[in-house]
Amino acid sequence: MDIKEVDGWTAQALSELAGAADGAALEALRVKYIGRNGMLPALMQGLKDVPAADKPAMGQALNRFKTGVTAAVAERKAALEAAAKAAKAGAFDLSLPGRWPRRGRLHPIQQLIDKTSAIFRRMGFTVADGPDVETEYYNFDALNTPADHVSRDVQDTFYLPGGLLLRTQTSAVQARYMESRKPPVRIVCPGRCYRRDTTDATHSANFHQIEGLYVDEKVSLADLKGDIDHFARELMGPGVKSRFRTHFFPFTEPSVEVDFSCHMCGGKGCRVCKQSGWIEIMGAGMVDPNVFKLAGYDPEMVTGYAFGMGIERLAMILFGIDDIRRLYENDVRYLAQF
Amino acid sequence: MKIPLSWLKDYVDFEDTVEGLADKLTFSGVEVEGIERLGGGVAGVVVGEVLAIEKHPNADKLTLCKVNFGGASEMTVVCGAPNVAVGGKYPFAPLGTALPCGITIEKRKVRGVFSEGMLCAEDELGISDNHDGLMVLDAKWAPGTALSEVMGPPETVIEVEITPNRPDCLSLLGIAREVAALYGTKVKAPDTALAESDPAAEQATSVAVEDLNDCPRYTARILRDVKVGPSPDWMKRRLEAAGVRAINNIVDITNYVMLECGQPLHAFDQKLLAEGRIVVRHPKPGEKILTLDGVERALEPQMLVIADAAKPMAVAGVMGGEHSGINETTTDVLLESASFRPAAIRSTSKKLGMLSESAYRFMRGVDAELAEFGSRRAAKLMCELAGAKLLKGVVDVRSAPKQPWTVVCRPARLEALLGVKAVPEEIAKVFESLELKVLRRSPDAIEVQVPTFREDLTREADLIEEYARIYGLKKLPPVRSMATLVPDADDKPAQAQGRLREVLAGLGLQQIMNYSFLAEKLLDLFDKDHAPNRAKLANPLTADHTTMRDALLPQMVETIGLNYSRQVSEVAFFETGRVFRLGPDGKPTEEDHVAAGLSGPVGRMGLDKFRPVDELEMFLWIKGLWEQAAAALNLRGASLRPADRPWSEPGRGMEIVVDGAVVGWLGLLSAGIAKEWRIHEPVGLLEAAAKLLVKDVEAMQALVPPPSFPSIRRDAALIVATGVRHERVLEVARAAAPAELEKVELFDIYQGKNLGEGRKSMAYAFTYRSKAGTLTDEAANGFQEKVNAALKAQLPAEIREG
Ligand SMILES: [Zn+2]
Repeated sequence: MDIKEVDGWTAQALSELAGAADGAALEALRVKYIGRNGMLPALMQGLKDVPAADKPAMGQALNRFKTGVTAAVAERKAALEAAAKAAKAGAFDLSLPGRWPRRGRLHPIQQLIDKTSAIFRRMGFTVADGPDVETEYYNFDALNTPADHVSRDVQDTFYLPGGLLLRTQTSAVQARYMESRKPPVRIVCPGRCYRRDTTDATHSANFHQIEGLYVDEKVSLADLKGDIDHFARELMGPGVKSRFRTHFFPFTEPSVEVDFSCHMCGGKGCRVCKQSGWIEIMGAGMVDPNVFKLAGYDPEMVTGYAFGMGIERLAMILFGIDDIRRLYENDVRYLAQF
Repeated sequence: MKIPLSWLKDYVDFEDTVEGLADKLTFSGVEVEGIERLGGGVAGVVVGEVLAIEKHPNADKLTLCKVNFGGASEMTVVCGAPNVAVGGKYPFAPLGTALPCGITIEKRKVRGVFSEGMLCAEDELGISDNHDGLMVLDAKWAPGTALSEVMGPPETVIEVEITPNRPDCLSLLGIAREVAALYGTKVKAPDTALAESDPAAEQATSVAVEDLNDCPRYTARILRDVKVGPSPDWMKRRLEAAGVRAINNIVDITNYVMLECGQPLHAFDQKLLAEGRIVVRHPKPGEKILTLDGVERALEPQMLVIADAAKPMAVAGVMGGEHSGINETTTDVLLESASFRPAAIRSTSKKLGMLSESAYRFMRGVDAELAEFGSRRAAKLMCELAGAKLLKGVVDVRSAPKQPWTVVCRPARLEALLGVKAVPEEIAKVFESLELKVLRRSPDAIEVQVPTFREDLTREADLIEEYARIYGLKKLPPVRSMATLVPDADDKPAQAQGRLREVLAGLGLQQIMNYSFLAEKLLDLFDKDHAPNRAKLANPLTADHTTMRDALLPQMVETIGLNYSRQVSEVAFFETGRVFRLGPDGKPTEEDHVAAGLSGPVGRMGLDKFRPVDELEMFLWIKGLWEQAAAALNLRGASLRPADRPWSEPGRGMEIVVDGAVVGWLGLLSAGIAKEWRIHEPVGLLEAAAKLLVKDVEAMQALVPPPSFPSIRRDAALIVATGVRHERVLEVARAAAPAELEKVELFDIYQGKNLGEGRKSMAYAFTYRSKAGTLTDEAANGFQEKVNAALKAQLPAEIREG
């Protein structure tokens, strides 16, 4: 055994290890060269027969064999593992569709009822409720609507036998609520209303409103302005403002129509606001003294404001819905987008 | 209502742009809906007549027109308009004209041919957006006439909407009063000084009013020697700008004065009136009238007519009759200026389907005191414009005149209601600007006398609104919003309903919304037995919406059917809504319901979706949905019992029982109903009254800590007859097992040839756990042996242990 031979073995081992095709072949080579019964112990055994003068050089040659092979095994092992990992990763199809049983959504009208109610709740309003089937008294008389007012006409209001009707406005809840308790009152009433309108792109015979009522000592029109301004910002964005225009409703005096500045263009004018910079959102006003008297409140002792707005109209503005009928058609491909 | 501004300026002065005026009016309650600009023409543009048309040699869509525009020679013009015709007259822009659209007309070649001017469309002249074709001019205009002469002087018209409380604003003078108040100026009332001659009107006619309630006032003036003919151009232009067609001078004057002051008027040809006199009365049975629009109309006894000595000549306040109208031969005019009860006119107008300008005003209310002014004004114009001679005086039949009334406004109350500081002097000034007479003014109270035309002002709150709108709502101070907390206010029921919706959406259901009314036959399809208790609309609008829903499921299935027909067969829906049923007293009662509907492989994922869904699978999904929802709502005391419904497939329905009361049902839709929508797959349905389902949403139960010791599981596959039910297995196992049996789970059901006919395998996992310590395998084996023995003997079953 001479040094040349040992170095020859080293070269052969390194070359074989570099070609090991898999973990099993690599292990066989490791056993063959540096295993307990492999070549290295046998060569070490032969060291004792080497003349003393050659021993240091022979020892170095054997050391080259040992470290070289050991390192080559580790290197090859790492390379094989990396290749195996890459192969595994490549077979994993990240692009397959994900799986989860279902998702559910609330109807857009519900979402807006919930959103507006939540804003008013934070402002100290309580959500109140009343029946869809109303008497003429609560829907009209208690709201100071003249006996011959057009809105009472069978052309405009759905009637049921027995002089009952489907409420035309959530304001009907006002009188019921005031009759049942003493001031202060601070309520919102979201709910379904009905008008005998032919259904088209912007009218629905069955629709939703949210009504608000605040009665206390010294509630003023300026309070209404402050509260509506706050609501406008909460609903449509921080820069949105409100403005009042004089109007007429039988159950409020003064009465106003309320516009919000356009949330799309910031008031500069766009398609959504029909270039005016403002969008008509609600009717409001100070509760008419007659409404208080009918509810058993003394108009000299309390004042109050009331407001009401259509949820479908809000949905059309905020979601950009072009046709109100889509909201009641219930095509899941449409509803699931909200 | 249309307000031509040049006309308005006859009655009030103001310094502002039209936009500024529109803004002020809108914020003070007279909403301006539009601004329209009329007339004016374009400098240089004249009337051109097309004498001949040839095809353009190089372009199919262009023509060469020979145009006479009053100049020395004819011009050849290249034209692309589809409506150009030989003999037609159009606006012509000669060379050198600068058009509002930015074009200056030059002689230039169009596709190789020189064009010497331009025939114009409306958009090119800045008149409108219309570019459909050339603007067509009346044939009467001579070529070369300036367009400004054709179009008339420039005019701006604002269109306003008047709210029902302000009938006094339905006239130019009414709007002028508003403008005067807003700009601090004065109204200039038109002249009504009359030149009268003998004999007295009451010798020439008489008026009898049979119902002073429906007709509180009727005045008649008599004019002789009337020459009927066309009105002067200025009057025609004003009427047309206001949207009223000019007819003849007499009729035009009645319309003009109505627009001016708000008093509807009617002119009769007195010679066509039997005995030349007026009787205001209700129709006699069977009476008819041929109205001015040429329609014969049957009259009803509660209507009011203006009759002569013999028969009805006009429907009071609504429309005149054909037989007494003004015509070219009229010389004697009886001028009616009256007032009628608004509700009576509304009902008549509606019944006859006629909404004239007069009826519109009477319906909203015309001040009886206006009749005299309107009559004088119209008579004066008839004398001036139709050469009429006015007989002396007026025949005036009326009930007691209305007296002006007084209202007190307290500045302190005004401040409280509006939240603005106001001094009595300022408040009084606003009232005076509105022609309210201030009778008394102190720091505490301002008393005003209200003129009769402001019937809407009867209370302090009404005066406060007047102050607010003239003071300016834009000046309302910004008050910081404060959340006022009201003690004892409780909206937990509303919140609980919200929780129910959140749970269902969280379980993967899409909320839908259907109308509260529908066609009764759809309700019948699902449950005919309820028919007698349904609430029906007395005046439905369409046949699809006649009956209030007494259940949500019919529309739920209809919705599934709609989506199914659009190739969306996998849906999971819920709806919450009210249902309506007649109570024992015959009156509708309301109840909040919730419904769910499933179709398609809603409980599966991925590739598993492509297998068809069988009945059992769908049933287990709708049942599982119920179980999950009930658990999420913390609902206690709920159970299910087999029970079919008229809409359910036999043997596939269960009723939902809460605290002993049946609150709803779940199950599979019957194949017979599903067929109506061509659905041939199982549909799972659930409907229940919502109130009891959310009763425990807020309740907390005693908490159970997680177990301290590990459990041991033993599996067993039972081979049993196909009729053995899961609940029976549970019953037997539970009875035989010790307290350590924690749960029993079914994890497989299998039926196959190798088991033999009429047999199935049900594989169960039994979990044992002790509260006292860790169980040994031996102990668990012992428990399971006991259970197995009982199952073997009592089901009976063959057992393969796992
Ligand atoms: Zn905008």
